[in-house]
Amino acid sequence: MTTPTPHTPLRSSLAGDPDMAELVDMFLEELPQRLTVLTTAVDTGDIETLRRLAHQLKGAAGGYGFDPIGKAAGSLEALLKASGDASQSQLSSMAGSIADLKTLCERALLGRTH
Amino acid sequence: MTQHTPQLAEVHPRVLVIDDSEDVHRLLRVRLKNEELILDASLDGPAGLAAAKDNPPALILLDLDMPGMHGFEVLRRLKEDAKTQAIPVIVLSGNCSSEDKVAAFDLGAVDYVGKPFEFTELRVRVRSALRLQRLMQMLSQRAQIDGLTGLWNRAFFDQRWLEEYARCVRHGHALSVALFDIDHFKAVNDTFGHPAGDEVLQGVARILRQECRQTDLACRFGGEEFVLVLPDTDSEEAARLAERVRHAVEEAIWPRHPTHRVTISIGIAGASGSTKVSEAEWVEAADRNLYAAKRSGRNRVIATDVTLGITTLTRKSA
Repeated sequence: MTTPTPHTPLRSSLAGDPDMAELVDMFLEELPQRLTVLTTAVDTGDIETLRRLAHQLKGAAGGYGFDPIGKAAGSLEALLKASGDASQSQLSSMAGSIADLKTLCERALLGRTH
Repeated sequence: MTQHTPQLAEVHPRVLVIDDSEDVHRLLRVRLKNEELILDASLDGPAGLAAAKDNPPALILLDLDMPGMHGFEVLRRLKEDAKTQAIPVIVLSGNCSSEDKVAAFDLGAVDYVGKPFEFTELRVRVRSALRLQRLMQMLSQRAQIDGLTGLWNRAFFDQRWLEEYARCVRHGHALSVALFDIDHFKAVNDTFGHPAGDEVLQGVARILRQECRQTDLACRFGGEEFVLVLPDTDSEEAARLAERVRHAVEEAIWPRHPTHRVTISIGIAGASGSTKVSEAEWVEAADRNLYAAKRSGRNRVIATDVTLGITTLTRKSA
């Protein structure tokens, strides 16, 4: 088994489900925009936007067959919740979790079929 | 669904999903597409509450963590409103703590599904909630239907009359109530037996149903008395409808006593707009007219406009 690197494409576990193909494509099409929102929220210390984004990805990514993204988003949400009124400085303590989520999203984009 | 023939709700139940995530709506549309149900989507609590009130669905799937109004607040308001309190609610939440589950059930949820959901599980939980909802609806409708005639019963009339009265007062719509009583019904029972009496009750109910429009409400008031609630109908129009019923009953031939005709007397109270008369006085006015119709020879219609106090006496048949 090879260890996934940032360059290993992450494919949806539902890629073979004809009902889901279109939805998975749609999710991937919108993913770059979500990544932009994520980056901006981190840069500006917009905790609420970050929390909402993590919350929504936690709930939805699994539904599109991207369980690892859902799990990473869930971990980030938990960290954000635990820190309460997280400040910009506290955000840096979550840098690892944020980077994990970003990497997984980027790998999912690499796995796009078209 | 027509009101004078009680029926179960539409074949495809409507399910309202209240969730701020567009993804959830999309995924559910695909994952529930073979379930023969209609999915409605609301993206926040207030929109969901408005949609539920406007056109109550068979089931609500409710997210908890939403910006603006939290799902628990939505649930509390749904259960507070008489129009929405009977709708079963399945809570969808990413937080599967026992406290949240207990709070959801305490507030009246029927089920709790964790996010991200396993769609097969969600599907069977939706099915199960809809099955239960259908049974509950059947039971409560049974309790509102008169077993012998299939018309709505007195309890249902009492409830709906208040609603229609309130609507008339608020919006100034026309409204009439008509009381029907079978003349000399006891004689039918005594002479031809109770099965013959039952047949007459069922026959009169059938004629009422035939003459009614979709929005009218035909109820068995008790014994050999029936009541029609006629929204958007003034006393004159109500008297015309009642006259058609009177005529049809008089013309009917009864298999168990073909030579013995049956007649009915009718008392009507109506208003062409908003009125100061109370809901109880209104029904009493119709009852007084029924009594007057009986006393003056039966087989006739007497109608009053409660706003004007005008009494219309329609013809007595020869």
